[in-house]
Amino acid sequence: MSYPDLPAKGPSGDIVGKPRRNTAATRFYLTNEFGLIALIVLFALAFQFATDGFFSPFNLFSLGRIAAVNIMIGLAMMVVVITGGLNLAVGAIGVCAAMTCGYLIEVVGLPWPIAILSAVALGAMLGFINGWTSVRTGLHSFIITLATMSIFFGVMIFLTRAESYRALPPVFAAFGRMKLLGIFSPLLLVSLMAALFLGYLYNLTAVGREMLAAGAKPEAAEMSGINVGRIFIYCHMLSGALAACAALMLVARNGAAIPSMAGQLGQDWLLIAFLGPVLGGTLLTGGKASVLGTCLGAFLVTMLTSGLLLLQLGDFWIQSFLGLLLLAAVLMDKTRRTFLARRNMA
Amino acid sequence: MASEIAFQATGIEKSFPGVKALKGVSLTLKTHSIHALLGENGAGKSTLIKIITGVHHPDAGRLILEGQEVHFASPREAIAHRVGVVHQERNLIPRFSVAENIHLEQLGASLLKPVDYANLNKQAARWLEALGLDIDPRTPVSRLSVAKMQLVEIAKALSLRSRVLLLDEPTASLTPSETDLLFSFLRKLRDSGASLLFVSHKLEEAQELCDSVTVLRDGSNACESRPMEGLGRQDIVRLMIGRAEGDGGWRKRDTPPGVPPAIELKNVETSLGHANVNLHVRKGEIVGLYGLVGAGRTELAKCILGQFPLTAGTVEIDGKPAKIRSVGEALHIHRVGYVSEDRKGEGLVLMHSVLGNAGITVWRPLSALLGFLTDRLVRHKVTPYIEKLEVKTPSLAQTVANLSGGNQQKISVAKWLAAGVKILLVDEPSVGIDIKTKAYLHDLLRELADNGTAILLITSDMPEMILLADRILVMNDYRLQGQLINDGSYAGMSEGIMNLIHRSEAA
Amino acid sequence: MNGSLANAMRSDWFGPLLVTIIAVVIVGSFNPSFLSPLNIQVLLLAIAVNGLIAFSQMLIIAIGQMNLSVGAIGGLCAIVFAGMMDVWHVPAPLAALSALSIGVICGIINGVLIARTGISAFVITLATLSVYKGINLGITHAQPFYNIAESVKSVGQGAIFGVVPWLMLPTMAVGLVLWFMLNRQPIGRFILAVGGNQHAAELSGISIENTVVTAHALSGFLAALAGLLLVARLQMGQPTIGDDWLILSFAAPVIGGAILAGGHVSVPATLLGVVIVAIITQALVLFDIDPFLVQVVLGAMILAAVGANRFRESRLSRKLKRL
Repeated sequence: MSYPDLPAKGPSGDIVGKPRRNTAATRFYLTNEFGLIALIVLFALAFQFATDGFFSPFNLFSLGRIAAVNIMIGLAMMVVVITGGLNLAVGAIGVCAAMTCGYLIEVVGLPWPIAILSAVALGAMLGFINGWTSVRTGLHSFIITLATMSIFFGVMIFLTRAESYRALPPVFAAFGRMKLLGIFSPLLLVSLMAALFLGYLYNLTAVGREMLAAGAKPEAAEMSGINVGRIFIYCHMLSGALAACAALMLVARNGAAIPSMAGQLGQDWLLIAFLGPVLGGTLLTGGKASVLGTCLGAFLVTMLTSGLLLLQLGDFWIQSFLGLLLLAAVLMDKTRRTFLARRNMA
Repeated sequence: MASEIAFQATGIEKSFPGVKALKGVSLTLKTHSIHALLGENGAGKSTLIKIITGVHHPDAGRLILEGQEVHFASPREAIAHRVGVVHQERNLIPRFSVAENIHLEQLGASLLKPVDYANLNKQAARWLEALGLDIDPRTPVSRLSVAKMQLVEIAKALSLRSRVLLLDEPTASLTPSETDLLFSFLRKLRDSGASLLFVSHKLEEAQELCDSVTVLRDGSNACESRPMEGLGRQDIVRLMIGRAEGDGGWRKRDTPPGVPPAIELKNVETSLGHANVNLHVRKGEIVGLYGLVGAGRTELAKCILGQFPLTAGTVEIDGKPAKIRSVGEALHIHRVGYVSEDRKGEGLVLMHSVLGNAGITVWRPLSALLGFLTDRLVRHKVTPYIEKLEVKTPSLAQTVANLSGGNQQKISVAKWLAAGVKILLVDEPSVGIDIKTKAYLHDLLRELADNGTAILLITSDMPEMILLADRILVMNDYRLQGQLINDGSYAGMSEGIMNLIHRSEAA
Repeated sequence: MNGSLANAMRSDWFGPLLVTIIAVVIVGSFNPSFLSPLNIQVLLLAIAVNGLIAFSQMLIIAIGQMNLSVGAIGGLCAIVFAGMMDVWHVPAPLAALSALSIGVICGIINGVLIARTGISAFVITLATLSVYKGINLGITHAQPFYNIAESVKSVGQGAIFGVVPWLMLPTMAVGLVLWFMLNRQPIGRFILAVGGNQHAAELSGISIENTVVTAHALSGFLAALAGLLLVARLQMGQPTIGDDWLILSFAAPVIGGAILAGGHVSVPATLLGVVIVAIITQALVLFDIDPFLVQVVLGAMILAAVGANRFRESRLSRKLKRL
């Protein structure tokens, strides 16, 4: 989030620090977002030369479908990371929501739009439990969501007997298979809408600004009249709702609600959930979010995975690559920050 | 007794992002001597200490220990050279015993050799005895009172048999009798040949204890290592603030007696321990709340703001009882603002922009349907105040952390002006800011009061209090001790204030 | 009240011990087969492995950090151990030694990255978790190694007096060493000092970097050891070893009163935490309660334990304020 560069017109508008020669354009080159776009272009070209059919309509379509879900998972984590906390239960909440949706359609027989809304509402409610517990006890959300991840997932498995719901209305699978202009999955549009909503929230609403301020420095926000506890609970609810959306998109992709779709306890989502925001320049200590960066980061990760699979480098090594990518991202981010801080000082 | 040079710092410079904390500072410490390092908050005392003890590295300048130039890459190296320090903040491991904390530096000879606790306790007992402390060395530090912790830290520094010992505000949390004990011990240490540096902002203590003095002002030497002899209190104050204290500036401001109180506390008791607090501030009045550190003033402000519950009594705003449960309610319903003493901790969101900080109080009132709010709207509201306060920033998008302390303070005041508060609680407004900004803020507070804002001013800076307040309330130990009508004379008022404080301590 | 009893009640192990005794009495009276030698042996086997996992995390909690990669290190070392015996026919002791060194190296990598860069332990260990797990999958292609040495198999099955499994011995030894280290040796005290107040520790001349790296190296070693024991117990090298260690590794230390902010852990109380988890898991099986509920119970126990620790802390600090 950045404010337009307006000089203060004070009578003594002296300049603190060094006179800045660099314009807005050169500063854009130093942002994470530009770096990510450059990397995406670079790798896209590399994969185009190194593989068969990276730009084939089929591959682009499947890439988009996977990216859409990964972006949503990244956003679900990002909205909590800006509070300086985290949500280890994203995967567990997502699976709970997906299974609820399947149950409501298949067993209760509700129409699918109501089932979807209920699933998202459940996600928000589970997020509320995380947020409320964390705010009320004053404990870090790490340990709270570690515990609730186990609880949510355990209850879900207990109730479903680890069985999938496969007899979903065809509209789900049809949405997952639908192609726009021959290559785009409409799932991407859902993620785009979520991203636009978050962009609106953080830049153009009071609540969004309060979330960022509360995340950056809770004590200062509280002493400036912001109800920090309530804001943190909102963030967790938003995270739960977005996790539910991600899981529902996954249901559309798979055509079924499967308890194991996020791995044991939903842990399989964790890496991608952090990769997106961290690559995108979201501070893990809170107070700064980049919606565009998170989307680009999640997209880059998806593209790398897909390209490496096409290169047939051995799918089993992919996880190591992603881990190294996360390491590289945080190390580069650290270096960039030190560099920028030095320049500002000089 | 022969006194030779133990330690010298020459031409020390140090910058932090946005501030030049030290601009070529020098200091000479001698053996058999207690040296006072004085200066206002933010003058650079703590930075200098951190450089001497290896926590920070100087950008320029030299450190010379007994004739040899030294470079401390880390606190460990400073300790190895037997430069000991008692820092301002608590530096003990809470769950470790007193003995282990005292000897933490000496444990590391071998990482695996079992610690001989019996011996450790015996050694520690000696140091505790020397300080006249009756503590079992096996007690975990977390079970001690703050004052005892402070003395344990001093014992810890002593146990290193330091050649040079730095004490950063060691008496801040001590009672007078504990202070006397400490002083007699420090004198003994001096007579045995040690070189001590004593940092304090209590002038009386420095004059009583020290034989030489260095004064810092605004990151430079106002005087360098001269004998304390021949310096009067007024001379030191002039060195510290660049002018004599209390001269001019005070202006008699008359609030007509008919003006009703904007805020009134009636028999307030709080969960933090305040009892029987009665005070009121009328529209257009500046009421000072004076007290020493820990007297309960900031805590009272926080109770008014609903951060801690009242257990009895009422707060009335404009004559009507008000139940304030959060700063949000105080601000949006009752128009009460609070300029925090802890600018970096609770006053500002340092990593956010000037606009993001100055506008934080107006987001809610400005936002339209569904909380819709544009930067333009916020900027429109905030810019007049940023300009009025002459905040020096390259742009509204500048990160606040990169501004100087004075400009940061202006922003933390501006946000309450932008919110249009009727009652302003101002807590230590001039901590860590330069003299010019300080004078500016003083003018601003007067102007606000002239325009009808009720101001409750909390400060431990006596000259500032006497310069600004119409009435001065004195608080000690969470109780109000009395009230003085300010007549602007420094000598008379300061004596009156100290009498009120001492009367309560004697009782 | 008697002074020593009051002291005992304040200590960390008192609560968990009470819970353990009550749990044993209740479960044992409802289902006598709970105290049968066979059942006790099963219980002790679980405690042997889980104890090491808990200790591995406990050391990192002691320095005020967290280690998400405990399971990944354990799994990697387990398949290295089994794989060397299966594929290269390396003698068991040599394979064990190599696997343990790999555990130490993994830990050192974690520690160095955290201490040198100042990036949060959470992100670093999340990344290395994925790297180590990826190497595991890259080596095994998700297939187990079956041909492990007979000596290892017999150790895994053997028991002293038919009740105490051989595998219990390393865990008890580790527990004793850790207790001695954290209470008596400077290195252990440094680990707790860094966790208790890193700034103060640094000003007292303790090297933060060395301490953090040492703690992570030890954590890696213990995770590796847990992996080896599991290979012996399962009689094969499963690539999935370690996947479900995360919750457990936090549950036991936290039940044992560990403060997540660092500076305070207790070896006996952590071991009791492991015992409690094992008893409850076992009881769910004995009473034919859905095993799926184990996860729920574990999560609820973490919440209850951190809540209780929090309550104790705040009571302590209130008491101090009154002094």
